[in-house]
Amino acid sequence: MAGAEGFVESDNAEAIITRIEHKTRKIESLLKQFKPVEALKTALEGTYAMTSDERCKSAHWIVVHRAIMAIKDVDGMLSSLDPEYYDILMKYLYRGLATGDRPTCDQCLRIHEKLTERAGHGCILRFLTDTKLKPISSEDLLNGRNFQMG
Amino acid sequence: MGSTLRLYLTCIRNTLDAAMCLQNFPCQEVERHNKPEVELKTSPELLLNPVLICRNEAEKCLIETSINSLRISLKVKQADELENILTKKFLRFLSMRAEAFQVLRRKPVQGYDISFLITNYHCEEMQKQKLIDFIVQFMEDIDKEISELKMSVNTRGRLVATEFLKQFI
Repeated sequence: MAGAEGFVESDNAEAIITRIEHKTRKIESLLKQFKPVEALKTALEGTYAMTSDERCKSAHWIVVHRAIMAIKDVDGMLSSLDPEYYDILMKYLYRGLATGDRPTCDQCLRIHEKLTERAGHGCILRFLTDTKLKPISSEDLLNGRNFQMG
Repeated sequence: MGSTLRLYLTCIRNTLDAAMCLQNFPCQEVERHNKPEVELKTSPELLLNPVLICRNEAEKCLIETSINSLRISLKVKQADELENILTKKFLRFLSMRAEAFQVLRRKPVQGYDISFLITNYHCEEMQKQKLIDFIVQFMEDIDKEISELKMSVNTRGRLVATEFLKQFI
């Protein structure tokens, strides 16, 4: 039974990876048309249905990271982004902040300030108390292991 | 203040503001004990997701929250050997006087330079906003302090060398 479940899980993961690849292509074309907000929306869509599979998570992060880095006008982006995406975006901002990569951190810090002004502390607290998505364990943090960058 | 430093401190301030919702909570394992859960980690349901906020590879801040306590660990920028030793000595000096600071932890968390431990009692006795101000002010001052120390070491070194070499003229 456990074997069958494992098979289903990996099959599911494969399906998600394929979907992410499809999404990446869509985002690339949106970025080429200078539509970074549309690209970010596409990247954030469907992330709540993520599995515990590490591969899917990092693949997702690479896609979202690509979209986040393309944003120039933070205020404009946030006003055209629906509030339902705020929580997911906050989650990915904290993931970006944990990488320690200077350009990523700068960008994430910039968006974080504006997003907190707009969405309030509740948004941060929802990230802190999120049990479904453990983005990083404290053992990893203590051992100095950060997220894998794409 | 540089713009990234301001953003970094604002981010930490906002995160602390959100995370510092602490309440009294007795230990679930031992009767009549009341301990900071973030240190003991007795039950996973009392812990919140830890947050790591980096400015770059060298400067980072780890915020771990639990139901009745909050732990903030800082890693200070150390550009060279001299800054490294100055930071180590200076922060050790502060850590040894941890009682005077109340919220300072005697020993930093592994991999970090200095740690603070804030419990619900601190939040009850002191104003939350002032506590956050203290942490942020501390982070602002520490860089300034280290660079001043470095400057005075270099000045002293130069003076001593000049005086010493005068005898050979």
